[in-house]
Amino acid sequence: MKILNVYRSEPDDVTKRLIEIVTRDRESDEFYLNVENPDYDQLVEKIFAADQTISWW
Amino acid sequence: MAKSLGIFVTTKESLPHVIGITKAAKAKGSTVKVFFTWIATHSSKDPLFATLCEIADDVSICVDSYRKQGYDINDVPAGLTPKKMATQAQHGIIIEDFDCYLSL
Amino acid sequence: MSEYKKVCFMYRHKDYAVDGIRSALGLAVENMYSYGVVMDTQIDSLDDNTQESIEMLRDMEGEIYSTVPANVENLGLEAISLEELGEKLREMTHVIPYGLK
Repeated sequence: MKILNVYRSEPDDVTKRLIEIVTRDRESDEFYLNVENPDYDQLVEKIFAADQTISWW
Repeated sequence: MAKSLGIFVTTKESLPHVIGITKAAKAKGSTVKVFFTWIATHSSKDPLFATLCEIADDVSICVDSYRKQGYDINDVPAGLTPKKMATQAQHGIIIEDFDCYLSL
Repeated sequence: MSEYKKVCFMYRHKDYAVDGIRSALGLAVENMYSYGVVMDTQIDSLDDNTQESIEMLRDMEGEIYSTVPANVENLGLEAISLEELGEKLREMTHVIPYGLK
């Protein structure tokens, strides 16, 4: 099970704690969408490579 | 064969990301379906919305949300047809029938 | 035959909670296990339509939880802690942080 965490804003403590639990003993990757020019091509590659994508607030 | 991608949009701030991701996924040969709900239905009035409708395989909005956001349901946004003024069942289709899921 | 999908919505902003609950119901009627969690925000009352949506969701084995004790007390939502929510999310096929925070 590979989880991709996408951040739409800087993750706060609540988000970080949930991610800790969700990704425990699982493979995970991340992508920051809250940047000037997100690399959408790379994001799509990561989405395709993951079993589940979670796009956090 | 490229995986298919369904995008569920709940925020009106996400439209540029939706377009960027849809373009990137289409360039990889993916099938992309997008559904806008609640406050995100305001995006259907953005000039960029019609562009998204051209590049994605399927775009629809929640008609009930659109009405609740103050729009006339007979005022069909550019790029859509009355049939694409739909219900939450479109979200169900994204979850059931698409390989990958993204909410924005 | 594929397994039933399990979906959990999370709402952290008042402006998105009510419609997000409706979206959760929308998936329950499509034969999915559908849950919602009101986080961070205290809601004073729910309109009749939303209350009806929650009842219908419960009839279809769904639930609306809250991490906020006042929502549990005032609105009759099911209590859930952040730790319990994290564990629940691990069981889901789809996790939806809804709207903005």
